Formats: sequence, C-alpha cells, structure tokens
Amino acid sequence: MTLGLDAPPAPPTASAPGRKPVSGRRALLRKLVTLVAVAGLLAWSVHRALPSGSELVNHGGLALLDDLAATALHPSLEADFLGVVLDAMATTLALALLGTAGALVIGLIGGLILSDVAWAGALPWPVRVARLLLRGALVAVRSVHELVWALFFVSVLGLDPLVAVLALALPFGAQSAQVFGETFDAVPDAPLRSLRAAGAKRCSALAYALLPGTAPLLLSYSFYRFECALRSAVVLGVAGVGGLGFELTVSLQSRNWGEVWTLVAALLVLAAAVELWSNRVRSDVAVVTCADWSVGQERSGDEGRSPRGLSRSTRWSLALTVPAIAVAWWWAGLSPAGLTSARTQDLAGRLLGDLWPPALPEGGLRALTGAALDTVTMAVLAMVVAVVITLVAGPWASRPRADRRGPAAWGRWAVWWTARLLLLVLRSIPPTVWAVVALLGLFPGVLPGALALGLYTGGILGRLVAEAWETMNLKPRESLRNAGVPRVVSAVVSVGPPSANHLVTYTLYRFEICVRDTAVVGVVGAAGLGRLLSERLAAFDFPVVTSVLLASLLVSLVVEILGRRLRRALRA
Amino acid sequence: MSGSSPVIRLLGAGRRFGSHEALCDLDLTVHAGERVAVLGTSGAGKSTLLALLNGSLEPTTGSMEIFGENPARLPAPRRRLLQRRIGSVSQELALIEQVRVVHNVNAGRLGRWSTARALASLVWPRSLDVVRDALDRVDLGWALHERTERLSGGERQRVAIARLLVQEPELVVADEPVSSLDPVRAAGILGLLGTSPTVSTLVVSLHQPALAREHCTRVVGLRQGRIVLDRPAADVDDADLNDLYTLA
Repeated sequence: MTLGLDAPPAPPTASAPGRKPVSGRRALLRKLVTLVAVAGLLAWSVHRALPSGSELVNHGGLALLDDLAATALHPSLEADFLGVVLDAMATTLALALLGTAGALVIGLIGGLILSDVAWAGALPWPVRVARLLLRGALVAVRSVHELVWALFFVSVLGLDPLVAVLALALPFGAQSAQVFGETFDAVPDAPLRSLRAAGAKRCSALAYALLPGTAPLLLSYSFYRFECALRSAVVLGVAGVGGLGFELTVSLQSRNWGEVWTLVAALLVLAAAVELWSNRVRSDVAVVTCADWSVGQERSGDEGRSPRGLSRSTRWSLALTVPAIAVAWWWAGLSPAGLTSARTQDLAGRLLGDLWPPALPEGGLRALTGAALDTVTMAVLAMVVAVVITLVAGPWASRPRADRRGPAAWGRWAVWWTARLLLLVLRSIPPTVWAVVALLGLFPGVLPGALALGLYTGGILGRLVAEAWETMNLKPRESLRNAGVPRVVSAVVSVGPPSANHLVTYTLYRFEICVRDTAVVGVVGAAGLGRLLSERLAAFDFPVVTSVLLASLLVSLVVEILGRRLRRALRA
Repeated sequence: MSGSSPVIRLLGAGRRFGSHEALCDLDLTVHAGERVAVLGTSGAGKSTLLALLNGSLEPTTGSMEIFGENPARLPAPRRRLLQRRIGSVSQELALIEQVRVVHNVNAGRLGRWSTARALASLVWPRSLDVVRDALDRVDLGWALHERTERLSGGERQRVAIARLLVQEPELVVADEPVSSLDPVRAAGILGLLGTSPTVSTLVVSLHQPALAREHCTRVVGLRQGRIVLDRPAADVDDADLNDLYTLA
C-alpha cells in the first residue's frame, strides 16, 4: 500500500543501533546534485527539440486546426455513420476483453513459473536456467510496445482480429506474469508446506494455498489491465486493427472532422463507462488503487483485502466474465486457424529469416543514436507537459473531503468533476490522435511527438497522483493545527513533502512507460526510434528493423534500471 | 508390539543448521501404538525433532526410517504416499486464512483426491459428512461455513486438529498442539488424539508435564539437542522433570 509514501520523511534516528546518522549536509548536497542533473537534462532536451534556424509552426496546417475546432459543435450524426460507430465500439470492447483474457492466461502460467513459492526446495539446474531464460524473454516481450507487436503481426497474419488479441496479450501477459509472481511470493508459505507435507499433489496444494489469498489482488489487477487494454486497443487502430481506433484513423486521414468528433465522443463514453465500472469492482474486491498497481508497491495478502464482502454488481460482473469472453470471441470472429495456415507459416518463416542478421540504417550508428536520443528527448519533454497538467489539474481532481458542507462544497464538487473529466478526455484520446492533430500545426519532429505524448500521459499521471493524494494521511496536519500553527503553514509543512514524494515517484515511473510509448507517436510520423521503425517496416527493410528494436530495448532497459534505482534511493 | 517393524527408527541422527547443532546423535525407536511425549525447555530441539519425523526436514548425520523407509531417498510419488500416512500439526497452524473452515478441514484429504476433485471442492465443498463429523469431535460443528480468519486462536487450533482427523494418518506428529487452549480443552484434544481409532502412534511435544503423564505412554526428554530422558510415563517422577527443566 502507499503507507510508506504517506508518512512524512522520518527524522534521522541517530540513536538506532547499527545505523549511521544521516549527514544533513550530504542530504542537501544530494538534493542539489539531483536538481542540477534534472535541470541539465531539461535544458538539453529543449535545446535538442528547438534547433535554432529551422521553422517549427506549420502555418499551412493552422487552417485545418481551425476547421477541426469549428466542427466541435457539429459532430456527424448520420444514421449510417452512427451504426458504424456503435459497431466499432463493440469491436474495440471485444478486442480489449479478449486481449486481457489472453494476457491473464499468460500471466497466471508465467507467474506460477516465476514465483519462488511454487517451487519448494532446491531446483535442478535445467529448471533454474529455463526460469532465467523465461524471465529475460518476458522483459524483452514487454519492452516492445503493443503497437509494434501489432505491426509485426499484421505483416504475417494480415488484417485478422488475432493481430489485436496477440498484440495486447503478449506484452500485457509478460507484465502480468511479473506482478502475479510477486503477488504469489507475498503469500505466507506455511499452508503450502503443510499441505505438501500431508501428501497433497502439487497442483491441488497450489490451488488451495495460493488462490484464496491472492484472488482479490489478481482480480483487481485484471480489471486494471482491462482499462489499459481498452486504451491500447484504440491505439492499435493505426496498424489497421478494427474498432474505434481504426475509424478514427480513417476519418482523420480523410479530414472528415465531423466524424472525428463523433468518434471522440463515443470513445469518451466507452472509456468513462469502463473506468467507472472497473473502479467499482476493484474497490469492492481489494483495497488497491491504480496507483499501487502501476508502481508495483510491495503488499501482503491481508493488507489488500477489502473488509466488506462482494457487492451484487461485482458478483454479476464476475459471473458474466466467461459468457462475455465467449460473446466477444463470436463478435470479433476470432479463429485460431489463421495461426497455422500455410500462408502464415511461410510469411512468418520469411520474416524471421529476414530479421537476422541486423543491419544499421542509412547514416550508420550516428543515425541510430540520433533517433535514440530523440526518443529520450521526446519522453523528457512529454513528462514536462504531463507534470504541468498534473500540477494544474491534480489538486482539483483529488476527491474532496467529506467534512465540508454548503454551497462552497457544491462548488468544490463541480470543480472536482470538471478536473476528472478533463483528465479522462486527455487519457482516453489515444496519443496517435493527439500526434496527428499536433502534426497539423507543427512540422514533424520531436516537439509534436512530445506534446502529444505529454497530453496523453498528463491524463494518466494526473489521475494516479490525484488518487494517491486522496489516500494521504491528514493526521499530522490536524495535530499541527491543534498545536496552534497557522492553517497555511501547517498544510504546507505536513502535506507538502508527502505530496511531492508521490508526484516524483509516479513521474519517474511514468517516464519509463513514456519512453516505451514514444513508439506510438513515432509511427504516425513524429520522430525518434518509433518513426525509424515504422519507416523501415513499411519498406520491408527487416535487418534494420532488428537493430532499431534492439536499440529501443536497450534504451528502455537503461531507463528502467536507472528509474528503479532512483525511486529506491528516494524511498530510502 | 514385539515383532512388528518399528514406526520410527532413528540411529545416531543429527541435524545442524550452519554451525549450530540443533540435534545430535539421537537413537530413538517408536513402535506402533506408542504415545510419546517430547518434553524439554524452549530451544532444546523439540520442534527440529518433530520436523524430522514428519518428513519436512532431513537429518544431516545418521539415519532415519519411518514405516521402514527413508523419506529422503524415496522418489516423489512414493514419498507422497508415505507422507499421507503421517499427520502433523505445527505451532504455526498453517491454515488458509481466507477460505471457509470446511475447505481447511478438507485440505487434510487432498493427499487422496485427484487434482480435478480437489479443484471442484474449492467451488462446491465435497464430503461434507466427514468434515462435519470431524468438526463435531473438536466442538466446532457450528463453524463449518465460517471464514477461518474470523476464528479465535484456540478455535483455529481445533480446526487444524479436525484437518488432521480427516486425513486419518497412522502416525501423528504434533508440535505443541494444545499451547493456546484452556486446560479443559487441552485435555479433551489430547484425549481425542489418544483415542482416535485411526491414529495408532502419536509423538507430541508438550509444555505441561502433567498432560504428558496423563495422556502418553512414554516420555522423551531433550536437552541441548540430546535425549537425556526416555522412560515409560508412569515411571517419570518430579525429580526427573526438575533435572530436565533446570537450566544448565
């Protein structure tokens, strides 16, 4: 849970045995060094994104932006088109559901294999080597963006619903396997050992000892994943996967702004409905916020359990899961036959053969590092945009405390709704659409990509931080106020440090994801490794694709390792 | 009982954890039908001895046979069959907290159930009659469908005993099974373990010598990992116990 973050920084405990007293001067110095480093990174990014001399704003596209804004109040409402929209909504929902189901199957199996608790005792070395390989493979699978997976699958399977399901299930499954493995390992192992000691088979013992304790957490995580899958299913539209994302891409390309607005409205309705429902189920089965899931806080089985039983709506949701998956399967027209057809095998064989050995793109290593640096720059600037959005909207998007009443409280609730809605709009519209819009007004480059990613990430970061702020412990503020400290001072002193702590933690975490997400805005032509990748994919230049993939794997690994170390250092 | 092969046979068995020698050079033979109380101060090695006997630890020196077989040398399926005949209750009750009591009792039967049957029972509890009967015997008949985490410490201990009863083991290895029960209940549970038709042999560690003399046929005293007392329960007098519990 977030307890560790809620607590204001503990004063140095010099009296604790075996612990070195923290030097105040060194703490200050460390802070200064971090500040200078971050400022340097920002300055470098801005410098890279705004090369002097070249033009940034595309005056020719501004008229189109005007058109776009002008049609906001005149969405396309023709009956034919509305039918298409409803159809697309159902398809997106079905693909997200199937993708999540696939991811959970991979996650459960992978999580059991990765968890230590399932393998009691010493392991023979082949098993240990296989587990290590699997762990590495899962890291590689999840660091490739689902859109890139979709582009690969499209080139093998053609326009098949399998593309969307596989592209969602693989990276999400790899991520789930890691989370599930950690969840299983947090369960006390005494019951499992005792069942095994009484002669129970491995499968039955695992089911009895692990499932009851972890089921609420696994369910909560599954619903969180479903929300993510819905957003990603829309993004996949760029790769030709059917549904709202695809319709949006078509309407944007044909500059049919009325249709774009209708589709955006449909997207918002769908996203809001799924988030409300998922939030309700998650708060019912386990007390874990989205923020907890995304950062992967350590939690034990007991802590996360909801004190109340399941509500009726949750029970219905769970009971309808399997029928819903069957309906989605039928609606999407999913057929695993496409996987084994001769054409698929032929294409897959040729693709795999072409991918190796890797080759450098035109311009050599210099072009590749340039694209990698563009990617990092884009992610840094996107985070600046996202943090600004969070600082502006976040405080208002935290649920107001219930202790106030009267007209002032009503106003506060109205502001709360507005802020939540703004964040919902920002994160529900896929970054690809933001990027296409940004590319109308700006010339292709780092800046439109960063802007698009920043708007989208701001919607997510704002929600995470707002939710974390909601659960903050207010007792220190009360006690300061009771001690006669003025209101403002007590608020700043008690709430400031933990809020800043939340913001920094989630910003670092989102930065890692943002680096991975740059692939998305690259595909629609912004900049960075993603752009290089989609250009080379379109040209069937697979040896270069391999080296670009390896470069982006390297970048995201480096960022993830640095980010994790930094987060741990900040928490300590 | 002469002639039948012993249930437990330890020959010079010892167990060390790193450099710490928890048990050393134990010779112990237990025949079917015996009820052995293991006494000793905390840290004397009682829990380690019982962990050896239920097969969850292996001796680092010497040899150990249970029902004539060395569990460490058996292939996994045969070891499972052997472990099914040994029932154990430990200080950490090892109950699954989040499920209803019926599942925790049924967990004792997992050794004889197929995986499919075990999974089905998690959804729709099987063999309710046996479970109800076992719970009645530990005075918990009312708790059949209660959530395990809602029970008190003593009640949970009795759930663990009920789980043991449905397992129908031939040898019971119980590590302080009555430590959190009141004296009347403690006597009741030990009586149950002593008179259960399926349990023929019992090895139990206790903190109350009086219970040992009343419910067991033999007393084994441990001190610093060695057996310092091994006598029929009727012959154990206060002087022996004083020796055992005097700190060296």
